[in-house]
Amino acid sequence: MLPEKTLLRLQLVAAAIVCFSPLESVAEERAGRDWWSLQPLARVEPPDIGQEHVIDAFVFAKLQEHGLGPSGMASPRVQMRRLHFDLVGMPPTVEEIRSFEADPSDQAYLEVVNGLLASPEYGERWARHWLDLARFGESDGFERNNPRNNLWPYRDWVIKALNEGMPYDEFARMQIAGDHLRPGFEGMSAVAFLTAGLHNTVIGSSEFMRRTARQDELEDITGTVGQTFLGLTVNCARCHDHKYDPVSQREYYQLASTLRGVYRREQEVEDSTAVARKAAVDKRLGEISKRVGAIEAIGRDLALARRLAQPGEQLEKPVLPRPLARWEFEGGLKDSVGGLHGTAEGNARVENGALVLDGSSSFVKTSSLERDIEEKTLEAWVLLDTLEQKGGGVISLQTNDGGIFDAIVFGERSPKSWMAGSNRFERSQLHGGPPEEEAHKNAVHLAIVYEADGRITRYRNGVPYDQAYQAKLQSYPKGGAHLVFGLRHGIAPGAGTLLQGKILRAQFYDRALTPDVVAASAGVESNFVSETELLGALDGKERAEWEELRAEAMRIREEVKSIKGTKRKIYTVRADAHPGPARLLERGHALKRKEEVPPGGVAAVQGPSARFGLAANAPDAARRRKLAEWITAEDNPLFARVMANRLWHLHFGQGLVKTPNDLGFNGGKPSHPLLLDWLAGELRENGYGLKHMHRLMVTSRAYRQSSKPSERGRKIDGDNRLLWRKSPVRLDAESLRDSMLAVSGLLNKERGGPGFRDVTLHNNNGTTYYFPFDKEGDLNLNRRTIYRFSPRGRRSTILEAFDCPDPSTTAPRRSVTTTPLQALALLNNDFALRMAKGLAERVEEEAGDDLQRQVERSFELAYGRKAAGEELRLGVQFASAHGMAALGRVLLNSNEFVVLD
Amino acid sequence: MKLPLQPRRDFLNWGARGVGATAFTSLLANDSGAAMQGVVRHHAPRARQVVHICLVGGMSHVDSFDFKPELVKSHGQEAQLAHKPDIFFGKIGSLRKNDWEFKPRGKSGLEVSELFPHIAKQADKLTVIRSMISQSANHTPALFFENSGFEFNGFPSMGSWVSYGLGNDTESLPAYIVLPDGRGDPNGGASNWTNGFLSARYQGVRFGAGDRPVRDLFPSEGIPAKQEFATRHLLGQLNNRHQERTGLDDLLAARIRSYELAARMQLSIPEVTDTGGESEATKEMYGIGAERTDDCGRRCLMARRLLERGVRFVQVFSGGPIGGSPRLSWDAHGDVIKNHGAEAGRIDQPVAALLEDLSRRGMLEETLVLFTTEFGRTPFSESEKGKVGAGRDHNKSGFSVWMAGAGLQPGIAYGATDEIGWKAEENPVTWHDFHATVLHLLGLDHERLTFYHNGIERRLTNVHGKVVREILA
Repeated sequence: MLPEKTLLRLQLVAAAIVCFSPLESVAEERAGRDWWSLQPLARVEPPDIGQEHVIDAFVFAKLQEHGLGPSGMASPRVQMRRLHFDLVGMPPTVEEIRSFEADPSDQAYLEVVNGLLASPEYGERWARHWLDLARFGESDGFERNNPRNNLWPYRDWVIKALNEGMPYDEFARMQIAGDHLRPGFEGMSAVAFLTAGLHNTVIGSSEFMRRTARQDELEDITGTVGQTFLGLTVNCARCHDHKYDPVSQREYYQLASTLRGVYRREQEVEDSTAVARKAAVDKRLGEISKRVGAIEAIGRDLALARRLAQPGEQLEKPVLPRPLARWEFEGGLKDSVGGLHGTAEGNARVENGALVLDGSSSFVKTSSLERDIEEKTLEAWVLLDTLEQKGGGVISLQTNDGGIFDAIVFGERSPKSWMAGSNRFERSQLHGGPPEEEAHKNAVHLAIVYEADGRITRYRNGVPYDQAYQAKLQSYPKGGAHLVFGLRHGIAPGAGTLLQGKILRAQFYDRALTPDVVAASAGVESNFVSETELLGALDGKERAEWEELRAEAMRIREEVKSIKGTKRKIYTVRADAHPGPARLLERGHALKRKEEVPPGGVAAVQGPSARFGLAANAPDAARRRKLAEWITAEDNPLFARVMANRLWHLHFGQGLVKTPNDLGFNGGKPSHPLLLDWLAGELRENGYGLKHMHRLMVTSRAYRQSSKPSERGRKIDGDNRLLWRKSPVRLDAESLRDSMLAVSGLLNKERGGPGFRDVTLHNNNGTTYYFPFDKEGDLNLNRRTIYRFSPRGRRSTILEAFDCPDPSTTAPRRSVTTTPLQALALLNNDFALRMAKGLAERVEEEAGDDLQRQVERSFELAYGRKAAGEELRLGVQFASAHGMAALGRVLLNSNEFVVLD
Repeated sequence: MKLPLQPRRDFLNWGARGVGATAFTSLLANDSGAAMQGVVRHHAPRARQVVHICLVGGMSHVDSFDFKPELVKSHGQEAQLAHKPDIFFGKIGSLRKNDWEFKPRGKSGLEVSELFPHIAKQADKLTVIRSMISQSANHTPALFFENSGFEFNGFPSMGSWVSYGLGNDTESLPAYIVLPDGRGDPNGGASNWTNGFLSARYQGVRFGAGDRPVRDLFPSEGIPAKQEFATRHLLGQLNNRHQERTGLDDLLAARIRSYELAARMQLSIPEVTDTGGESEATKEMYGIGAERTDDCGRRCLMARRLLERGVRFVQVFSGGPIGGSPRLSWDAHGDVIKNHGAEAGRIDQPVAALLEDLSRRGMLEETLVLFTTEFGRTPFSESEKGKVGAGRDHNKSGFSVWMAGAGLQPGIAYGATDEIGWKAEENPVTWHDFHATVLHLLGLDHERLTFYHNGIERRLTNVHGKVVREILA
């Protein structure tokens, strides 16, 4: 019989297996926590087979095992073409080829590599690979497919980051949380990675449709982050535990929770210097307000103590300041102070001294404000018809088009609670505030105070309602704004924006009322101590400090107004600072909301803890910072493995794992597992420098070998996974277009900024259609393809036919097809013909009138070599009959131009 | 450019030395994925090819293929619904009876309304499904869903999946051809016929109207035929020399072959799009020349010609962009009579002619005809409460589509909506079920026609779908 302790252990183990076995271990049909890619990186020594280059040691050893060997070195010309296309996406000039042919030493090769990695074209080339992953598309997709005119700063950021050699971990962190890590142009551009995907802008009216659309959006963002940085298809676990990988449904919602604050919007962003200055000022203001608060607390306590000591003394009542406007609703909608008279819409009417609103069509709109509004107070006395209503506005200050607003709103985000409503909740605290229980029986007094520093305080019956919070003050320009009653915002009644009840009185101030004034206005007896009383209670030193600090604060606030950085519009993340808790959705159904799920990672990833130690309602900044830390943690094995494999895939045409976005069960198995771990370790130990990795890969013999096929190689390893030769490559769509521009001499090298448009835009009732076109003489159309404005949907036939993906989902691996439509595009497309003509004009200019020399030059430009005798003869014969442009057309269609050996 | 219509040897000779004809298909399939052209066959197929008439905007089933006597009785009353309908614009008026009279048709007695008098005469060929349901009542996602099984951009459409599975029966034309409404492409444009993550070979190729139906088929400025031949000749010579130097590589051979196929297309496309050789009677039958029916008539005739030549999947759209006034699609929010009357008037005769023509030529036995809409319309009108408005809102909960041809039981209706036509009640059919059935008829098992993409063996039917066996012959 087994000892009891052992037995107990066995039982526990058995129980554990029963509970967790699907996720715990690798089985025939799925991966568990012991799946290879989730394990820590192995420390690997390269095989000792006398190879100098570590990559060759791994690759050649494996070839030996299979009775194969590498091919000989490719010719210097082939090496140069391969290297240039790979690193900068364009062909070398014939002079560059000749120079290497003259000295084909390893040292000369390395110098070329270094030169290319240092050139700005490197970033332009490699950014394209990254934009495929980022599903970078410059229109929304779906029904409207409206253009995004200002997403290009993201593309420019990627190019710049790559060119400057930004370490890959920083590169990743910036794209996950750049808005928090480095506010300003840079961070805001980088984080547009999250929002570069599709966006459905027509989502229907019901709660189910709205919530489902939002969940779809979060799946796109979460899935893209998971696949891009970790090679984990976490999005497969939205409705149930992942069928193949150890990712539970709960873990999907943990990850989605980290990104829950991500919303998208085109917005004006200030440059980092201005943002930093403002942040410093904010910090100082925070310190001041803390100290002022502390002094006031002392004064307040002393003053209250004095009151108790002298109970008979008349307390000073605050003098109520004069509002900018007041509506008594006695017999009409007149403003009894200023000129902001109201007009009734729908069935709105005044009865017994109150504005009566029916909740289905009624509201009141005032005339436009005659002055700029910065700080302000909204105030109203309200009696609701029912507490069971959602989203109605009491009083709202809005721009004339109703697009931007600040309002007192009832029950919009949490039932029965009062909220400071605002456009896209930009200045709204979405949670908290005790539910209203009285306003349908007795009128309540409501006020919202918007201070100059952006602080917002809500009051109900004269006392603060939930906590005050910090937001960004919205200003309203003179003549551009007005007030509405009974409508949250807008210019017409809309479902869920109307209030059902009565407004007894309302006032509007162009200043922020202090708590005592609000209390007095509400008619509440209170413990508020007026400023005079408070100061009177302080000693001289404290009072002096108080006054000094207040003066400093005033001065700083004036100064802030003068900080004017440059601004730029960027389509990027507009975070909800407090996105609230995520909930697990049963079978992914948007309305079947189950338990709250805190932000977190995936436990099966060995190394960094998947527990983020954050509350379910943690602020957005904390969530995304933590996510970025977890993903890029030194001991997260997936982060380095995935990138090492991705680089290999891009340099060699197929990855060591063939599925770069999926290192899970459904993905491929590594062909060279030890090499993969060695490369991942190398990436990590070299501070995640990408250029180091490029250099390492392209200097290997495995990379520099010839692509000539061999019978033996084909028989043993037809797919060439063992690398007995370098696989030939058909140029991708962009490289093809760019090299046509380069050889024709028409390339416009202008870098950065808004993309050129080779489509015309047609708007039909809110939907945008794109039609490709080409035009002679428009230099913009001759820029590199990376700078092309890239809406979803239609592209030029060249891009479409040559497998340039429609940016709908992340595209880690392009398909490479050969179709008759490609042939037609390359033969007949206007752009292609224009390039052929350009090539002809170029050689006519460079080679003079001699036809033979023109033909020679054409071959040199297209192939980077001299025409062979027979080729020259055929070329001259053809060109003399049909012209140089016709010859150019042949060259640009030929295999030698389109396929890299 | 003027080209001879008979293929000439030298025109097609691209000099693919050493490449045997049998190796062509595999040479062209150098991308990943199990299925090569024409190799997938899970069971004996009933149909060989498909023509899909795709209505954009949402056709009202209660006015066309789903007669609801109870709706006539309760016209003007408020709908008694268990749940508040989750509809697009949220305006729920009173019930509205059908505006076109239904009659039993043909030998089968299948009921079709006067909205489609010509199609009604073909009733004995139709297999109507009256219990369709969709997941989305929002045009573009619903149209994507209907075409690809997903509500988002980027998933391969049915035509692409079918081409991926079955390849093509002709080398001279693309496998999947799209004929959009002459008034414009539907919203989402080419995303509706995208190959998604499948290879670009399976993308729908759009044939437009006019004398340049396919983009870049010929140069926009004419090139003399003599030069064109010389071009091809020189290209062949250069490619051969290159291949001799570098070794016979699949990729190079495939490119050479692709130019040959391109030349074939340059010959066949002008030939197939030139309907001059069709008899006047045929043209008249399709409604070509009559103002209302000309656009659709030409496209339906073209569909037949493409199918005749072995094209796998032809898609004919009815309806252009959503939005606009007057509407260019079936989206009858404002006035069903006016809108549906006009839309049906454009397609009724041509679609009926296509059925008749396919049948006369014996092609219907191997051809599957699909007539679908992204969703139906509500039995209640889209208006203020208590009023009978002239329009109807979107209805994803129950609607009708029909199929015809190979392998189906003709002249029947399958499934049923509730008494007023609001929700599918008897034998509901999802798009996944519909897609599974289409693939089944083509000899493909929807669970086995897969393609690996980003972690998942993707299918047209996602993880759902059940073949509707009850409608099979």
